Amino acid sequence: MQDVSTLLLDSTQRLLSDLSERNASRTADAADLSADWHQIEEMGLPLAFVDEAHGGLGLDQKTAFELVRMCGRHVLAHPIVETMLANHFSVTAGGALCDGPVHSLGKLTRMQQELAALARAMQMAGALETILAMTISHVEERSQFGRPIAKFQAVQHSLALLASEVAAATAAADHAVGRFEEDADTATLAIGIARARIGEACSKVSALAHQLHGAIGYTREHRLHHFTTAVWKWRDEFGTQSWWTRRVGQMVLANGRGEFWPMVTSA
Amino acid sequence: MTKIIFPAPVESEAAEQLRADVRAFLNDALADRTPLQRAESWSGFDRDFSRAIGQRGWLGMTWPKEYGGGERSTFERYVVVEETLAAGAPVAAHWFADRQSGPTLLRYGTEAQKHAILPRIVAGECVFCVGMSEPDVGSDLAATRTRAERQGDGSWKVNGTKLWTTYAHESDYMILFCRTSGGPADRHKGTSQLLVDMKQTEGVSVRPIIDLMGRHHFNEVHFEDAVLPADALLGEEGQGWAQVMGELAFERSGPERFLSSIQLLTELIGALQDSKGAAAEAAIGRLFAHLVTLRHMSRGVAALLEAGENPGIHSAIVKDLGAAFEQDLPDIARSLVDEEPDLQSTSNFAAVLAYTMMAAPVFSLRGGTREILRGIIARQLGLR
Ligand SMILES: Cc1cc2nc3c(=O)[nH]c(=O)nc-3n(C[C@H](O)[C@H](O)[C@H](O)COP(=O)(O)OP(=O)(O)OC[C@H]3O[C@@H](n4cnc5c(N)ncnc54)[C@H](O)[C@@H]3O)c2cc1C
Repeated sequence: MQDVSTLLLDSTQRLLSDLSERNASRTADAADLSADWHQIEEMGLPLAFVDEAHGGLGLDQKTAFELVRMCGRHVLAHPIVETMLANHFSVTAGGALCDGPVHSLGKLTRMQQELAALARAMQMAGALETILAMTISHVEERSQFGRPIAKFQAVQHSLALLASEVAAATAAADHAVGRFEEDADTATLAIGIARARIGEACSKVSALAHQLHGAIGYTREHRLHHFTTAVWKWRDEFGTQSWWTRRVGQMVLANGRGEFWPMVTSA
Repeated sequence: MTKIIFPAPVESEAAEQLRADVRAFLNDALADRTPLQRAESWSGFDRDFSRAIGQRGWLGMTWPKEYGGGERSTFERYVVVEETLAAGAPVAAHWFADRQSGPTLLRYGTEAQKHAILPRIVAGECVFCVGMSEPDVGSDLAATRTRAERQGDGSWKVNGTKLWTTYAHESDYMILFCRTSGGPADRHKGTSQLLVDMKQTEGVSVRPIIDLMGRHHFNEVHFEDAVLPADALLGEEGQGWAQVMGELAFERSGPERFLSSIQLLTELIGALQDSKGAAAEAAIGRLFAHLVTLRHMSRGVAALLEAGENPGIHSAIVKDLGAAFEQDLPDIARSLVDEEPDLQSTSNFAAVLAYTMMAAPVFSLRGGTREILRGIIARQLGLR
């Protein structure tokens, strides 16, 4: 099983980077997009959360969420994660697999919303990783005052902060996925924590990344905006950052002062 | 290195059983401690408490049994450390020894030193202080001027001044970082670590320095022709820099870097729990999300230590984010609760707020400043 999932993760990684390179070098028309989607389906990605009995991949949750993170690292025009979720919801409700890409999930139950919110958390963690990598390359390549801007201490410290926020976002996402794997019914708090923490990381990381990229990062041509505008959208989907944050606050305040620390160690 | 992963901590039943035991013990042992006293966190000093916790086997937990240790896992030690911090226990009489001086001795001490001293640390009866900073040597530790010169009989003669030495006035021993050859221009070459018996060594004098709250925690320690025995040298002569970096890794790796103002968060929740509202919910939700995430990361550091890996960048990230989290707390509390901060107040919230507000500046100084930590992170990212 381990080997199968490693293989799948490797080939998905390759496919998604191919697709994003292809996207970068063309204005995709409908035919291109449907050719891309065909490849995505061949890889089985839309079936990540569907068990084998229903024609899915039968992946463990961890691997399925790794695929979601990868989709976040690449940010394509295709609704891969939405379709993963739609298939899962349909099949678990006794329905059939969806035909083609699903762009909108419609009204969700509480449990469905939580899974979707967690998927967004993983996508954001993936996208933030890419923003960090892009920003490091940029400051090493861009020179001003006769040296790479990476050599300025102010730039180094901004990047250190950016990296710390990305590390925190990754940790919050991993923590929530771990809790969700243990018991999906009691993972609400951990998912809320992830959404609150990652939402904040998205603001800080994108602000620092745009600052360090200078004007070029504000152009349509540069790839940075694929990732920053994506996280600006995702952080408020399936429950806004504000809604999730208050939800966590409500749970903590309802338990009160005496239960606060035990709640931290069991969150 | 652009992907910084904090491995998932290993949950164990032994650790959770231990947590219940520690909680029950602290509940009893600290029953009389006020919230303001608890807010002192790891600055609180109480030999009796340290002895009591030592008797339970909760000090030197990971060390070999040969030296009195418990041979338990890093995670079990982590449970004891975080529970004592969360409860606001006065831990300073064992803190430095258990966290860094003991592990340094374990690695570099002679057998005689290890047998004589480690069991006393384990018993909670041996107080250590950290002799790194000096008047002209803060962030730039390699510039140390304190000098130990080897005498004809192998003993060491020490001259110089250490500064900001927390609890030197209560300590049995100091681990001294100083120069043993060359000059300041040689930087980290020619530095060593030595064990100083603070009670028995002539020529060592300790002067108090009073902090901005009027308390006496740190000190100035003068060495004037102080003679240390030949075996005071820890590890190898000239290897002090590598050794002290190892010691700092222990100093930076723990949950005290984001739990030292937990008392204020506890009081804030107490003050808000009956008068909720969107602003309170949003603020508490955000703080809680930060705290749980920091804890996940910090337990990841413990997992790296347990696996024998070097968590340098991970520790720096947790300490830097942790300090920012703690330093934000007082202003968030002030924005939500309409009470004047006042150390003398009978309101626990007002007293703890006043304390934490005044303690906050040190969070991004002690144990390596924010700027130094960000430099470490940037180096690991390959930028320097
Ligand atoms: C409460 C408390 C307890 C302490 N206890 C101990 C103890 O027990 N033992 C001990 O040895 N020390 C102790 N210290 C000292 C502590 O380690 C030092 O304060 C710390 O290393 C910083 O040194 P400094 O205070 O001399 O500041 P400096 O090094 O002078 O720094 C001043 C400012 O300049 C910045 N700066 C310095 N160098 C650079 C650089 N290269 N790039 C960018 N910015 C820079 C710093 O980040 C800081 O903001 C304690 C400090 C405090 C506050």
